Formats: sequence, structure tokens, C-alpha cells
Amino acid sequence: MLKDLYEFKKDLSRRGIFFCLSGPISQNLVAEIGSTLEQKMNLEDTRRSIVMRVFSTVVENAQNIMRYSDEKEEKLSLGIIAVGYEEDEHYFVLCGNMVENRKVERLRKNLTKLQKMNKHQLKEYYRWQRREGPPEESKGGAGLGFIDMAKKASKPIEFDFKEINEKFHFFSMKTVI
Amino acid sequence: MEKLVIEATKYTPEISFDCEKNVLGIRGKSYPENTSVFYSPVFKWLETYLDHEKSQDITVNMELIYFNSSSSKILMDFCDILDAAADNGKAITVNWVYEEDDEDALEFGEEFQEDLESVTFNLVEKPPG
Repeated sequence: MLKDLYEFKKDLSRRGIFFCLSGPISQNLVAEIGSTLEQKMNLEDTRRSIVMRVFSTVVENAQNIMRYSDEKEEKLSLGIIAVGYEEDEHYFVLCGNMVENRKVERLRKNLTKLQKMNKHQLKEYYRWQRREGPPEESKGGAGLGFIDMAKKASKPIEFDFKEINEKFHFFSMKTVI
Repeated sequence: MEKLVIEATKYTPEISFDCEKNVLGIRGKSYPENTSVFYSPVFKWLETYLDHEKSQDITVNMELIYFNSSSSKILMDFCDILDAAADNGKAITVNWVYEEDDEDALEFGEEFQEDLESVTFNLVEKPPG
């Protein structure tokens, strides 16, 4: 177990990941993660707009987990978030959580739609959705999180659903800034 | 009526609405877990103020370093209320303050500027940090 931990850390580094959290996510934790990552990127002289995009993507992903993860302990929602830096000099954010099977198709449809949009279409769609108001399933959000991430990403969002059992899929997505 | 002052937290902005000077300020970061819970007293105050305030000149300083997508919706609603009041005769100036080099924040400001018809909407750049 102890030796594996180092191997695990090395494996993350090999994938360019410099931050990773798996477990319950709370609002306070989101704020701390956000400001720590901001500090780190500032030390690396990252451009301000990039720092804010990474910060924003981490917050939107974490708050998605808090609102929509179907793996919960009482009020706490569980999920995984990782942030890394790719060789081609782009930051990326990985996010994953359990979703009930019945939600998979709607999510897949929404995300596929976003994948096909260009920057201009995403911008217009964001403004339209903001005027339109939140969809029913938004749970206190504005239904804008995915569109916002797609807007801020430098390439289309990648996502995957892995079937776990008769009740759940594991939803994962990658946003490259 | 009394001033509305809410201290900033890590994820909610400082609100300082001064009904004597007619200067309303929102400053900091905005990504509360539940935006409507945080902003509902803010909207309530604003509506009472706009209904009762005799003064015609109001300045609104929006200085948000970061806001999440659900706050963005709230900010739009906030600007719409100001625009309606300006449409009814008040002279409202909104200063949208964004950090130099943060092009997304500038773009948000430009979009609000496009959407609003009756308020005077200024884009104001400030150094980062």
C-alpha cells in the first residue's frame, strides 16, 4: 500500500497531473482548491485569462459534482477532479462522478451538441440559455455550466460514460484550456 | 432606508449599496453554492431602493474578478432591473470593471453593454491582482 502510493503519484505526474482529489466535495473545499491553483499558476507566470479559465473550469466541474453526482453520503457529493498540464502547453481539467443510468442519454445528447458547436455558436447558445432560464433538472444552477466550459476550452470537451452496474454509469469529462 | 452592506467571503462578493451617495458596489468573486439564496436580499434591497429613491443619478460599480455560470444569470437579471429603471427616467451609470488581460471578463462586459439599452455602461480596465 505505502509503496503503491509513490507509484500512484508517479503515474499522475507521468500524465501531467499536478492536482488530484477523489472523494467528497464541499463548497469550502472548492474555494480552497481554486485559490491554491490560482497561486500555483501565478507563480508560473501564467497569463491572467488562462488562470481565470482554469479556475472557472475547476469551480464549474466541482459544483457540478456537488449538484449532480449520484454518489452521495448524506449531503456530501462524491467525485473526482484532476488538473494537469499537457506537453503542448495547455492546462486540462478532468472530472468524474457517478450518474444514474436514466440520466446518461440526456447528458450525452447535451454534450454532443456542444461538441459540434464552434466558438461563435457557443457564445450565442450561452446567451440564449441565460435568457431562457434554467432547465428543469438544473437543481439551483442556471443550466450554463457545460456551455461555459465549452466556451472557455481550446478544443471540444471530451466525455465518456462507463457502465458500472444496473443502476450507475461513471461519467467522465476532460476540458482542455 | 438603510445601506446594504454584506462582507465578502471566499466565494461571495462584497456588497456595498449606499443609498445616501447613490453608489452601489459589487466587488470580489461570486460562486456561492446557491446563488439565489445569496442574492435574494440584494434584489429585495435594490427593488425597494429603485421604488423609493427620489434621486435620479445612480452609479453602479461591478468589480467581479470571477463569477460562476449561475452568478452570470443573476448579474443579467440585476442589469435588466437597472435597465428598466433607467428606461423609466433614472440616470444610471454602470461601471464594469475587469482585470487587464482577462478577455473573458471583458467579453462578458461587452455582451451586457450590447443588451442594455437605457443605462450608461462603461468598460473599465484595472491592473490584475
